[in-house]
Amino acid sequence: MKTHRWAAVMAAASLTFALTACGSGFGSSASSASQTPGKPLTILIGSSGDAETTAVKDAVAAWSAKSGVQATVRTASNLNQELAQGFAAKTPPDVFYLSADAVAGYAANGSLLAYGDALSNKADFYDSLVKNFTYKDKLYCAPKDFSTLQLVINTDLWTKAGLTDADVPTTWDQLSAVSKKLTSGTTTGLVMSGEYARFGAFMVAAGGNLMNDTSTAATANSAGNVQALQYIKDNLAAGDFKTAADVGAGWGGEAFGKGLAAMTVEGNWITGGLKSDYPNIKYKVVELPAGPSGKGTLQFTNCWGIAADSQNTEGAKALVAQLTTTDQQMAFSKAFGVMPSIKSAADAWKTANPTLVPFINGASYAKGVPTVAGSAAVVTDLNQKLAQLRSQDPATVLAATQTNLQALIK
Amino acid sequence: MSTGTVTTTPAVSARRRHHGGIRKRDATAGWLFTAPVIIILGLFLFIPVLMALWVSVSDWTGRGGPLSGGVNFVGLDNYKALVAGGLTTSDFGIALKNNLWYVVLVVPLQTILSLLLALLVNREGIKARGAFRTAYYFPSVTSTVAITVLWLFLFSTTGAINKVISFFGGRGPNWFNDPSAIFHFGATTGPAWLTSGGALGVTWWDWLGGPSVAMSAMMAMAIFTTSGTFMLLFLAALQNLSPDVDEAAEVDGATGLQRWWYVTLPQLRPTVFTVVTLGTIGCWQVFDQIYTATQGGPAKTTLTPAYLSYSASFGSQQWGVGAAIAFVLFFIIILFTLVPRWLLRERKPRQFRIRKATS
Amino acid sequence: MTTPTPVVTPVAALVVRRHSRPGLRRSGLATLVTYVVLVGLALVYIFPFLINVVTMVKTDADAAANPLSLVPDPWSWAALHRLFLNSDFPTWFKNSIIITVAVTLGRVFFDSLAGYALARLPFRGRSVVFAGLVAVMAVPGVVLLIPKFLVVNQLGMFNSYSGLIIPLLADAAGVFIMKNFFESIPESVEEAARIDGAGAFRVFWSIVLPMATPAVVTIIILSFQGSWNELGHFIVAANDPSLTPLTKGVAQLASGALSAGSQYPVKLAAGALMTIPVAVVFFIFQRRILNAAGGAVKE
Repeated sequence: MKTHRWAAVMAAASLTFALTACGSGFGSSASSASQTPGKPLTILIGSSGDAETTAVKDAVAAWSAKSGVQATVRTASNLNQELAQGFAAKTPPDVFYLSADAVAGYAANGSLLAYGDALSNKADFYDSLVKNFTYKDKLYCAPKDFSTLQLVINTDLWTKAGLTDADVPTTWDQLSAVSKKLTSGTTTGLVMSGEYARFGAFMVAAGGNLMNDTSTAATANSAGNVQALQYIKDNLAAGDFKTAADVGAGWGGEAFGKGLAAMTVEGNWITGGLKSDYPNIKYKVVELPAGPSGKGTLQFTNCWGIAADSQNTEGAKALVAQLTTTDQQMAFSKAFGVMPSIKSAADAWKTANPTLVPFINGASYAKGVPTVAGSAAVVTDLNQKLAQLRSQDPATVLAATQTNLQALIK
Repeated sequence: MSTGTVTTTPAVSARRRHHGGIRKRDATAGWLFTAPVIIILGLFLFIPVLMALWVSVSDWTGRGGPLSGGVNFVGLDNYKALVAGGLTTSDFGIALKNNLWYVVLVVPLQTILSLLLALLVNREGIKARGAFRTAYYFPSVTSTVAITVLWLFLFSTTGAINKVISFFGGRGPNWFNDPSAIFHFGATTGPAWLTSGGALGVTWWDWLGGPSVAMSAMMAMAIFTTSGTFMLLFLAALQNLSPDVDEAAEVDGATGLQRWWYVTLPQLRPTVFTVVTLGTIGCWQVFDQIYTATQGGPAKTTLTPAYLSYSASFGSQQWGVGAAIAFVLFFIIILFTLVPRWLLRERKPRQFRIRKATS
Repeated sequence: MTTPTPVVTPVAALVVRRHSRPGLRRSGLATLVTYVVLVGLALVYIFPFLINVVTMVKTDADAAANPLSLVPDPWSWAALHRLFLNSDFPTWFKNSIIITVAVTLGRVFFDSLAGYALARLPFRGRSVVFAGLVAVMAVPGVVLLIPKFLVVNQLGMFNSYSGLIIPLLADAAGVFIMKNFFESIPESVEEAARIDGAGAFRVFWSIVLPMATPAVVTIIILSFQGSWNELGHFIVAANDPSLTPLTKGVAQLASGALSAGSQYPVKLAAGALMTIPVAVVFFIFQRRILNAAGGAVKE
């Protein structure tokens, strides 16, 4: 008898223990957490390197000193995973980097605070960036910076091949011709990462993109996209283009830095990478050649997300407002090469970075990546096929992507 | 040959029954002693499994806990998504294909290799047996992460493996970045009759393609690190064998090969079964190496159900689908454990013709 | 005497009797071939680790250009310098030590306690508990990855040492080993003590446990190895950088957290240094490990 009771007690104890702990989850809903003004803030960032980490830490420390609210910056080793854990644990960081393709997912499950519409400098952000972070007509977060893709040319290899400034390609045919001239020995004319995040620039220049500007309709199977991928495929077959994986590099910048590529298509982050890892390469940046529909490129952007479960949303909003001012964005730009997300800072940036002007010129004709929830997985799937573009049929690949994207729009 | 018996003499049990007081205290002590283990395993093994089961049949999206209000029961929707078509299905199909080839190739290879090592080390007249055992077992002691980092270096484009290949005049591939399937032998597209149909969103051409070059590097790592452990199991079994049967067979005229096939190997059956079972269970759970080295790439050719379960949940916020994948994996492992048991079951003993030679 | 378990290798050492075989001779050639194969395979197994250790002190360029060479040219401490001064490696090491020591002590205590109870203390439901343990050993680790995170989270242990340590404190395999061992100890000693009035815990602690040294050492080795090399649980139980143990830290290093390029000497140094404690434990106890696992061989 006694043993039975012991067993029952033991089992009941464990179960109750677990359930009462779980019980703290009962009754909590999607509304925001209770507020404690002045509570210390945690900021989670996905850093590209020491330069970025130091810059953000300095900026936050300066704000802390002025506002009197303590704030700590933490770098994530795996930003998406740590955000997911934070949201599920209801102890997310107060402020964090948020990429365009992650906004829809977190906005949909109520993890984000939609503070964007109340920003005082909302009108100053580039329209295309604002569109990227708008979900169900609400601006969820302030764009923190952006980058575009342009053509980066190794000037030594350029002159060695007998090319001059007049030969800078302005059409796709010229790009192929120049690339052919630059291919010799182990150097290929143009090497870029074999993924949508690079090929997409050509797709935009041909009048297409995976989705429309507001990510509400899928346009993956448009004629422009097929044309762009066919163009790349033809050049891959001819040996004038190669992917980074083909030459054993992790990304286009690595191939460029090792001299395996005379040209590459990359974003402004390449400046930092080349300076630290391959300082002997001399390069210049030019705008990508125009495609059948004119100039086009991709833009990438992140925003400052604020958690709905943050216990000091006022402090968080004040911090973000400070981090998006012209001065602060120019400081970030100097530290790790991004471009400010506000139009009023464009001139200052051009003056400070005369050799990188093509990147900011791209802002006027750049399009963003899809932002509908679940699009990241579709893009990963597309990249899997693009990695083998040589043996794939562009129309078939894009048709499959179209089906996948349409399944997400409901 | 290796069976165990637990001895409890009746006399002892009888003596116990007389001491009622001690017995009662024993019962209490018994529960108290096992309580920590029960609580810890219950909390962190049993309850999580129940919670995962709930998540797999719910629509929890990742905010707050899955037991909070607002999370609804959705029946088998998440499981259906794994076979209904679309991106989730094809990802699941790819992961299954990758892991299936992994298991089918690694388990036999590691079993054979570890048996070979055990046989060699066990041979008569071999000195420094201990040193050899240590050498072969050492990789099993290291952590997966450390070995994976080492492997990334050895199999890089300019790494040791490609250097060795170049000594033989070949050019090694960019191992961890090469998604081509090894059984496609370089063909870029398959014949139409194989590429038109498929299962779970993956064409038959891809199903038959085998592991990719990148996955093959992973497989080599698995064999490298587990062959030592299984070698020890085989060594224990070999040393348990009485040499008498073997001698009798030799006296009766059986050749070395015949002795090995009809006498030694059948006696190793239980150990072979153990090794195959453990190997299969281990192979179906491949995760650490993928997380550290390739994260499912290149081109999803190192994606496994275990990693997909993790990335669907923590990466794509599809917690229900992630939990469903984990449970399907659980069932697959059980299936793959029961099938070898059935195949290797004891059949009626053969009538050995050797018996007639006693005259 | 021994009870092989599906998951755990046999515990007690085997003594092998080798009959003399006057009539059977192994040919000298066969033995030579065997030696060649053995040595060749041993080289294949050891060479990667030699490369690992040597690459720690190579420069990045040298590592890429001469991957097979065992002589660094030039000799460079840069990788180790970077690892110890410019990364969180010391923190990772500290965390791994804390976690491993706690888990090893915990497992030795709890597993032997439960193993003793299952072996020697008759209580109703004992077989149910035992069956439950066997069932639990069958659950694949990956199924638990997500839900353990959820439970740790619900219990408020996320991002704390308790979240990292407590779930690892008991393991079914260890209980199995201890139970098997206790069953093989003759009961007479305990009986004497019990009749003299000693309580169950007293008997366990003062009499039986000291006799269980081989099994306890096995548990120590397996727990040390298991918790030092654990990864999945640490991924989900915490994401605070100050709580990161070695496995997670080195995994981040491998996927490029510290550098954009392929700085192999740093990564290999991290991998090698994290292997050293386990290797040391292995070499000290190797005779016991290999005996426990594979049977003693008269050499």
